[in-house]
Amino acid sequence: MKPVLRTAIAAFAAAIAFSAFAQERVIRIGVLMPISGPGSYFGVMGKEGIELAMEQVAKNPINGYRLQVQYEDSACSPLQATNAVKRVLDQFKPHIVVGEECSDASLAIAPILDQAKVPMLNAGSVTMKLTESGYKYVFRIFPNAEQQSLPLANVAYKTLKARTAVILHEKTNAGSDNADGFEKPFVAMGGKVLAKIDFSRDVNDFTAIATRIASLGKVDVLPTFALEGQTVRLSQALAQARVVKGGGGNAVQMGSIWLPYGYDQKAGQASEGYVRIVQFDPSEKRAMVQSFVKAFNAKYGADKVPTHINAHAYDTILVIADAVRRGATDSESMRDRLSKTKDLEVTTGRITFDAKGQNSDLSVVHFVETQKDLSWKGMSWQ
Amino acid sequence: MSDLAALVVQQSVNGVYLGCLYVMVALGLTLIYGVLNQINFAHADFVTVGAFAAFFTATRFATRVLGLPDAGAYLLSLIVALGVGALLGLAVNAAVFAPLRRGDELRPLIATIGVSVLLENFQLWLFGPIPYQFDSPFSRETIRIGRIFFTAQSVLVVAVSAASIAALYAFMRFTFLGKALRAVAQDRETAGLMGINPNLLIALTIVIASALAGMAGALLGPVLVLTPFAGATVIVKAFAIVIIGGFGNMQGTILAGILVGIIEAFTVQYLGSGLIDLVVFVLLLVMLVLRPTGLIAERKEENV
Repeated sequence: MKPVLRTAIAAFAAAIAFSAFAQERVIRIGVLMPISGPGSYFGVMGKEGIELAMEQVAKNPINGYRLQVQYEDSACSPLQATNAVKRVLDQFKPHIVVGEECSDASLAIAPILDQAKVPMLNAGSVTMKLTESGYKYVFRIFPNAEQQSLPLANVAYKTLKARTAVILHEKTNAGSDNADGFEKPFVAMGGKVLAKIDFSRDVNDFTAIATRIASLGKVDVLPTFALEGQTVRLSQALAQARVVKGGGGNAVQMGSIWLPYGYDQKAGQASEGYVRIVQFDPSEKRAMVQSFVKAFNAKYGADKVPTHINAHAYDTILVIADAVRRGATDSESMRDRLSKTKDLEVTTGRITFDAKGQNSDLSVVHFVETQKDLSWKGMSWQ
Repeated sequence: MSDLAALVVQQSVNGVYLGCLYVMVALGLTLIYGVLNQINFAHADFVTVGAFAAFFTATRFATRVLGLPDAGAYLLSLIVALGVGALLGLAVNAAVFAPLRRGDELRPLIATIGVSVLLENFQLWLFGPIPYQFDSPFSRETIRIGRIFFTAQSVLVVAVSAASIAALYAFMRFTFLGKALRAVAQDRETAGLMGINPNLLIALTIVIASALAGMAGALLGPVLVLTPFAGATVIVKAFAIVIIGGFGNMQGTILAGILVGIIEAFTVQYLGSGLIDLVVFVLLLVMLVLRPTGLIAERKEENV
């Protein structure tokens, strides 16, 4: 082949390659999840949800844009999350960041992303401070502490006729905010909080706490804000101390959306009578929920029931895809489109962001009570 | 019994139970320090390995393969965890600790951190991060005497702890190997000159300590939120107990463990559970200032 022809072919090939590269339009999504450490089950479930959504929603370009995800381990820790977000901003240059799950870590990354003008889409933290601190680039689809605790207080006082409560919560921003979110309205309605008992995440044996509660006299409700593992042990200790219904006592343990599906089976009989609000209910009849459950089972196994963590993570991709569909092409337009998200149907209900970036639509949040056979009974309370 | 008396007795019972769990974890730590003058940062992970070994024995092998009833399966799992702990100790000593002991003292210490990270991540890969639900059949049985309640699991924990302590004490006091261990603890070189093989006895110490950690894991399994990081939730407290009791002092560790358990229970009752760590670590600082050798006055030759 003549050198001139060879050069021409090479130049042509290079031009095609360059043009393909230039035309490949990508929305980069940084995902900060706890992949190591005690909170890593959040990361595992979150990743399952995101990967399923990427397979389904993002398999074809949306508006000519392909979604690309990069995971970083933020370990549920403010320090590691800070390092991870700086790394992802520097190296991956995301248009949006999804995460973190833990409130303390989310609070650490929010100001960094706000300063970098990269939207943060949160699907697992409850602390009020996240959307109450004036950040312009923070959005949250997960109900905040007040949105979760206020209905609990209302139902405790008005429906269950509870007049005394002992609030149990982990010693974190999330736990404290949820506890305050229950206490204020409950006391304002005329209820009395006999004790607010906090505990760190390394407490394993709850017998002493259950004994203390048993010594406090008549307790009507026990709102509990802790991770699943500790809540299971707490419920069992409360049953042994004959405080809660599951152990022959009278108090009703109450919980929030924190608790994944499956808690009741793990806690066993101790969970009988447990009342909680749920947002994602795998048995909900909505077509979107059932199609998600079906796809989840097909990918991860028929015996695996998706939790709210799977569902919320899945929904983050739906929310981003929707913003891209409505014209988001970079961080700024992403922020703009997200802020205008309205009545978007996802597996965990509907999304409408308020001026602070908080999802204000709680239409599917409902109460369930654990029955003797450990199944859920849907309640009509709101 | 008055309300106050019942409450005091109940919290004391809770505290002794918790203390026994701490003692089971702390014993191995103090044993290794007593003989090797070395802190084992991987001890928490040995506890976790024991907990997982017990979990899979009790819920899979013993019930599904051997067809044992739940109680028998759990008791078997204690023995399996003990054995798995011992084997792990033997393997880690042969592969990591023994070769590094020839250098300076810092290397084995750093190696224990390396082993800890390795074991934690290996378990994370093997078992995943989602908590396992490990319920002992004895936890479901609540015993009530008057107004006092405790589970059969608490009785088992106290009984196994007492038996382990007695066996360890008898081994140290009355057997040749135990006496040789004490000799190595006092003066490794002189013990070597007397015909004792220090390396063999060091290996034995690690095996015993690891076996105790494995057994502690099996007892703690139904209490812990069982994940590859489970042991880490008790190890800081165990270190505090070892320091309060006097590093390397077995009697001191036992006393400190029970004391910390009881103090924790009463802190929960009267000060609040959020202050547990504060109270325990203030106690630790007070001990370091007032009695740096630990609760029981240390006599070097009585260590281990």
